[in-house]
Amino acid sequence: MQQILTAMAAEGMVLAKDIETPEGRVLCGKGTVLTDIVIARLNNMDIQHITVDGHPIPVEGEKSLAEEVADLDRRFSRVTDIKPLMYLKKRLRERLIAARGA
Amino acid sequence: MAADDKDKLRKALREIKNLPTLPGIVAKLSKMAENPDTTTAQMGQVIGKDHILAAKLLKLVNSAFYGFPQRISSLSSAIILLGFNVIKSLIISASIFEIMEDQDVELWQHSLGCAVVCNVVAKRMGVSDPEEISTAGLIHDIGKVAVKMELPRQYAEINAIVKERQVPRREAELEVLGLEHAEVGSWLARSWNLPNKLVEPVAFHHDPGKAKEARLAAAIVHFGDIMVRGLGCGHGEDIWVPALNPQAWELLQLTPTAMDEILDEVEEKLWDVRGFSLDIKAELEANLQR
Repeated sequence: MQQILTAMAAEGMVLAKDIETPEGRVLCGKGTVLTDIVIARLNNMDIQHITVDGHPIPVEGEKSLAEEVADLDRRFSRVTDIKPLMYLKKRLRERLIAARGA
Repeated sequence: MAADDKDKLRKALREIKNLPTLPGIVAKLSKMAENPDTTTAQMGQVIGKDHILAAKLLKLVNSAFYGFPQRISSLSSAIILLGFNVIKSLIISASIFEIMEDQDVELWQHSLGCAVVCNVVAKRMGVSDPEEISTAGLIHDIGKVAVKMELPRQYAEINAIVKERQVPRREAELEVLGLEHAEVGSWLARSWNLPNKLVEPVAFHHDPGKAKEARLAAAIVHFGDIMVRGLGCGHGEDIWVPALNPQAWELLQLTPTAMDEILDEVEEKLWDVRGFSLDIKAELEANLQR
């Protein structure tokens, strides 16, 4: 998932998290597919950030998936003989890939 | 290094002159709590006198960081709903947040992340006071801040060794200071009169098998440190995930499914606390400009 400015939202993006008012009321639920009407409404309500599935907006200076995975390997490079930690690493790797997919 | 020099360093760190102390209000409230006649209203009045502390406390209570299910809008309801022990943990957290936030943003992120993992794991394991374990996670590296503030020259030397030789920070600390940040942190926590439940996880977060009274708390903080490093919220040049202590793992006994669920919850919460700051001054100014 990626947090983006509502100003960069586009039709077809899918909400990865509920959008709430500052009072905690849910405006728009997780899984909603954005349409122009929904986006216009969010802008009207002064909602500045939303969180969407995948990684639709490239960020300048951001690491590529390959770089992220290499960093992960490096972080775990001294515990390769510890089983539970290798499991943790495997899951983190899968999550990284899933987060960048689509 | 000569033994004399090490003694000098120890002395400097033990005296810790440059670190702010915990506000007197913590001691005052502890005293009040011991008295069975104290009412929540009286406690609320004492906390309420310090407007900034009160505002920070409510902000912390309502953050994803502690994740209480309902919104809590007043001090007195916070005290009634959460109980004094939780409030005390929160006051300690709020005070320490301030010290760390100013000092070192990366360490701050690491500590916040660790506190989040501790909270998730503690709740999952049905610990009676998960907030206290979050607080322990938040302050587990406080010794690093003490070294930085008291012995800036040695601190720079430690950083240089970690960078050049790619060794864990602990090793560099032992070489330069003859002791490591966990020990320094435990002195500091003791000097603040924090309970053993908080001191032990700080003292033994690298070696949780040595904890006596707070074995589970130490194990959870140890694991929190590991998971958060795995996630890449590490600190500085020392990026490596440390080894998992077998005794701690035996206490936690997390199944693969449990690890998956913990990761889900932690990632969600980390999103929410990203950029979380207790600096209410900036916020007040922003509100005034609106």
